[in-house]
Amino acid sequence: MTKTCITHAIWAPDGQECDVCTAPAVNASNILSAGDIPVPGVAQVTPAGKMKIPAQSRVIDAAGKLLLPALYDLHTCIEIPGRSKRECIMRAGEAAVRGGVWGMLVLPSPAFCFDNGAALDSFREAAEARSVAEMMPAGCISLGMRGNEQAPYNTLSTMRGVRILSDGESFPNNLLMLYRSMQYAADLELIFAVRADVPALTTHTYAHPSSTAYKLGLHPCPPCAEEIGTETLLRLAEATGARLHLQLVSTAESVRIIRRAKESGRVKVTAEVALHHLLYTHENIGNYDTVYKTVPPLRDKGDCEALLEGVKDGTIDCIVSAHTPCTPFSKKQDFISAPAGMVGLDTMLPTLYTKLVKPGLLSWAELVQACCLRPAAIASPWEDEEGGRATAPLLLFDPEEEFVVDEASLACGTLNTPLLGEKLYGKVTLPLH
Amino acid sequence: MKPKKDLITIESLSDEDICTILESAVSMKEIFTKSVKKVPVLRGKSVLTLFYEPSTRTRSSFEVAAHRLSADVTTFTPSTSSVVKGESVHDTIDTLMSMKMDYIIVRHKNSGIPAVIARHCNASVINAGDGAHAHPSQAFLDAFTIREHFGAAEGRRVVIIGDILHSRVARSTSCILRRLGAQVAFMGPRSLVPPMRYTGIECLADWDAVFAWKPDVIYLLRVQNERIENPFFPAADYHHAFGVTEQRLRRIEDEGMAVMHPGPVNRGVELCDAAMEYKNCLVCNQVENGIAARMSILYHLTPGTLS
Repeated sequence: MTKTCITHAIWAPDGQECDVCTAPAVNASNILSAGDIPVPGVAQVTPAGKMKIPAQSRVIDAAGKLLLPALYDLHTCIEIPGRSKRECIMRAGEAAVRGGVWGMLVLPSPAFCFDNGAALDSFREAAEARSVAEMMPAGCISLGMRGNEQAPYNTLSTMRGVRILSDGESFPNNLLMLYRSMQYAADLELIFAVRADVPALTTHTYAHPSSTAYKLGLHPCPPCAEEIGTETLLRLAEATGARLHLQLVSTAESVRIIRRAKESGRVKVTAEVALHHLLYTHENIGNYDTVYKTVPPLRDKGDCEALLEGVKDGTIDCIVSAHTPCTPFSKKQDFISAPAGMVGLDTMLPTLYTKLVKPGLLSWAELVQACCLRPAAIASPWEDEEGGRATAPLLLFDPEEEFVVDEASLACGTLNTPLLGEKLYGKVTLPLH
Repeated sequence: MKPKKDLITIESLSDEDICTILESAVSMKEIFTKSVKKVPVLRGKSVLTLFYEPSTRTRSSFEVAAHRLSADVTTFTPSTSSVVKGESVHDTIDTLMSMKMDYIIVRHKNSGIPAVIARHCNASVINAGDGAHAHPSQAFLDAFTIREHFGAAEGRRVVIIGDILHSRVARSTSCILRRLGAQVAFMGPRSLVPPMRYTGIECLADWDAVFAWKPDVIYLLRVQNERIENPFFPAADYHHAFGVTEQRLRRIEDEGMAVMHPGPVNRGVELCDAAMEYKNCLVCNQVENGIAARMSILYHLTPGTLS
């Protein structure tokens, strides 16, 4: 079996030069060298020059390139309206690998409604055949995501390996059902991935309360909608002992609430932030630019800063792409009618590097924590059959290479990204064989 | 003024554009005094009114304005058309563009729709009100009315009272008046007046503060019950707390302030009956000036050119 050895790469989390040797199989557990820089949950990497290169192995001199674990994305919606499921799966997989994302949690959507074993089986089969990236489906919390009757959690988890439950893009309006679901599922070690914005306060709202909302006449979405929901969900998780994963945290106050909850030690909670909530504010909407329509809406600069601070201190466990393909026609409509969401898989790592790491806002070590180790620990996607934690695959990243985001650089099938036409730094090589 | 294709917001106009349109509105109004109230400037041009929201005043005002300029007017009623069958705005516009319209006058409940239509077609698009965003023709008729009544808008103090949050009139009228050198303040239920840090416009707490501010114009907004699903204020309180009551009217009369309202008036809510009879109540002037302002807008737009 030919092995691939990478020499003189820079181990991104600590900046040391290192060597690493992998087998051609993409599974990260095939990384051979156990070296001197142990990274929990990831491969072990050897300081440069100390590795014995096995005979007949292919050697890649990666001088000047960064080596880091591939990313894991806990929030993707892969459905492209009007396209076949096969195409959706194939394109999302291709997009993920381009952006340095090796595995992803696929949230249920109308076309991918994971509320029964058969739906999961057929998805897994299709994903195995067509996706170059690993896809883990999140099971539905309720049948048909309608919020009134529990999905069969035992079937989904013990028989189909589901670890995370989510009703896609909606807050569970039925708190009684959620409470009972959490009670029921607490022993199954399932994670409830839920968005916190309370619909009673967010229906028909389109922008953060701001000069933008006033100027454009868009009904404002109060931050307290999310903060009230966050408190409510934390109390439910505490009362039931269930594990809670807060999706798409967007306000500074939510970060403080989660920080307090984590400090109390009484709630099993993790949280995520969408990359766009770290990078953009309501001002980017400009004159109704629908590409910046997101739910929750883009907020203030102060929120962006608090969210980034939350990522750095671990209050917010992970940064997600919140990848949501929208067709060009749907985004050409007016701001109120257009669907919310951006695509982010294709450009994930180059964007993180260009906008956060390069300007010094986030270190490589923090990025690896927030985009690889912590999301992987939440989803545990690489556990092997004996239940042991396997290692993540590695990727090479050339920070010098630059490219302009255009139709050809996007494999995801739609163009709803504000990065279109923008120059990004970094080229991802994944997988490494 | 430079040729402009569309009128979507006041913000998109230069000071020169605003002055030109306001000045020719004066000449347009002179036409009304003639026995033949029609000029041939838009002869052979076709105007389409596309109102997705119910409207009597604005629509008929635009129709009269277009007729007086000798344009041909077609009325498109979305509620009886394919729109109720789920046709998208883009497809409706494609259909209408095949009819080679020169001007499209559009009203829609969604903020931003006229801009989408304007980008999508060659016709001149006039925003006749989109959601809570903008209502530029109303702004022109309000500015025109204030200039006519006071000689100039500059230096005048106008307080706009009511539902600012949902009001496209408040946004566009405050914008044009400030561009013309007037001072604007807002007053209304706390749940319906966005804070000054978002609007850049001073918020007055109540009627006492309004009178202390010494306004020249009291501009009342309509309580838009049809736009509000969940109430923002207790309806029974409104007249007493925010309306022109008979007692307040006496003070308004004493100080000679003008009263304006975009219409239609909810009597006994925004204005007491007596206020409608008050000599400085400019509501009917606003309606008449609306036709002149809209004639001027139609006259100054140039279909098929880029804004």
